[in-house]
Amino acid sequence: MTRKATRLTVEGLFAGYGRIEVLHGLSLAVAAGELLAVVGANGAGKTTLLRVISGLLPARAGRVLLDGRAVTGIAAEKLASAGLTHVPENRLVFPGMSVADNLSLGAYSRRRGSGQAVEQDRRFVLDLFPRLAHRLAQPAGTLSGGEQQMLAIGRGLMARPKALLLDEPSLGLAPKLVSEIFAVLGSLRDQGDLATVVVEQNARAALRIADRAVVLDRGRVLLSGTPKALLTDPRVQAAYLGRGYTEVAP
Amino acid sequence: MTGPWPPTSRTVRDRGVIDFLQLTVAGLSAGSAYGLVAVGFVTIHSVTGIINLAQGEFAMVAAFVAIALLAAGLPLPIAALLAVLVVALGAAAVERVAIAPAAGSSVVAYIMLTLGVSITLKASALLIEGPQPSALPAFTPGILSFGGVLVRPQDLWILAATAVAALGLYGFLERTVTGKAFRACAEQPTAARLVGISPSRMSTLSFVLAGVVGAVAGVASSPVIQTDWNIGLFLGLKGFVAASLGGLASIPAAIAGGLLLGVVESLGAFYISSGLRDAIAFFVLIVVLVARPSGVFSTHAGVRAGVRAH
Ligand SMILES: Nc1ncnc2c1ncn2[C@@H]1O[C@H](COP(=O)(O)OP(=O)(O)OP(=O)(O)O)[C@@H](O)[C@H]1O
Ligand SMILES: [Mg+2]
Repeated sequence: MTRKATRLTVEGLFAGYGRIEVLHGLSLAVAAGELLAVVGANGAGKTTLLRVISGLLPARAGRVLLDGRAVTGIAAEKLASAGLTHVPENRLVFPGMSVADNLSLGAYSRRRGSGQAVEQDRRFVLDLFPRLAHRLAQPAGTLSGGEQQMLAIGRGLMARPKALLLDEPSLGLAPKLVSEIFAVLGSLRDQGDLATVVVEQNARAALRIADRAVVLDRGRVLLSGTPKALLTDPRVQAAYLGRGYTEVAP
Repeated sequence: MTGPWPPTSRTVRDRGVIDFLQLTVAGLSAGSAYGLVAVGFVTIHSVTGIINLAQGEFAMVAAFVAIALLAAGLPLPIAALLAVLVVALGAAAVERVAIAPAAGSSVVAYIMLTLGVSITLKASALLIEGPQPSALPAFTPGILSFGGVLVRPQDLWILAATAVAALGLYGFLERTVTGKAFRACAEQPTAARLVGISPSRMSTLSFVLAGVVGAVAGVASSPVIQTDWNIGLFLGLKGFVAASLGGLASIPAAIAGGLLLGVVESLGAFYISSGLRDAIAFFVLIVVLVARPSGVFSTHAGVRAGVRAH
């Protein structure tokens, strides 16, 4: 099996807020065409990890590499044009702006590039999420939760990322919508060039499509391996796949 | 122009109506200047969380610059446009020099910095121009009469300038990529950063926009209200009251608030007491503060984080 080049690498990452240290020397790597699931309990540091990778939060130590280039310390607004896209927790769509404007702002980092390529990607996103196509003029704040999640992902894709970070894309969605969204993530991965990191509380859904997964525990990687191995690991079963676990999300 | 404006027409039979209309037009004219200053408060506050206490001084400086350029021999339209440009650039410089380096400060510290800018501009004006007021000439001389209702052409100029500035701003924010990015940064700063919008650039842009609208207000109203070193205090205060009517968040509400305040002031000064003119703004402010205290001083944390992140 030929392994694809590593797209995103995190090495010995330390980060936190004020006096609290949340990540204690965390490392992971994702290849192009690979989907990595990051699971872990509330407060394990999953969101913090993504915030550090995308430059929203400074790392205290350690490195983040994108295609072998160190991007640690680069501000989020600059990293966006380097091919790293972060679809944040709680979607954070631009509520007062139309679906169309939200999508076109997703391509803001490409505003000096080809308008034709952006238009192509817009069509691609609307094909992925046909519901959005019917609501282009609607203010994003009036979309349903699921539609907002689709918009947030679509907006992220408009940047044409090389690495895509998703923070709890299933949060608050009905099971049917969850599978819809994960199917889209799987198909994006299958196109072969995108490295995807999906942070999920809904471990089952994430592990179903992931190539590899890591279990985060209090800011450290507790376990990592194939979904199959993790699903059968008694520690994972006890902690993350217990009965009722998937109902935890509001 | 001498004597109080508007001249009240006591000899006409239906003087009541005419007085009312003249007062209303004068109120709308003053009110559009307040409205433009108010828009400046909104643009800066919506992106940075800062209440810019130098907002009125932008208007004052623009008027003095226009007066100086006119005196230097430039035609009035050129002098007026250059004054707007100078203040727009000056506002950008204020943001870069006084605000941006303080990244990481509390909003109160930022507001104090703008107070410092305000005092500096006032003191400079006093030093350069002296205490006596001066004014631009009316853009077109004379008095217009609409069926007995006397209107200063300058009032129409102010209304027109306000309409042009407001529509220009609207077109910019609604139609251009940068304008949309500006709104995105105000609505959802974290997501804005994640799509590549720089909060520090948008912060600079917010000052430029505030400088432009403030300058238009200062230049257009100078022939009517006279410009002195301290006029920014009154314009700024009334602009702030107008902006607070819309919770410091809405541009149309800021303009409507300005117009409303101008008309109420003008009518109140005539029908109740002329000594009341400047007090009316304070009454309105108190009512707003009591009715929605959080609406006025609410600053969204994320926005501040955006500025801080530089
Ligand atoms: N802005 C902040 N200031 C202080 N502490 C924070 C901040 N954000 C997160 N934390 C703390 O950092 C720890 C990790 O938070 P994080 O949001 O990364 O967890 P998470 O794994 O994403 O949890 P969840 O599954 O609930 O989203 C928590 O203990 C949290 O209280
Ligand atoms: Mg989280």
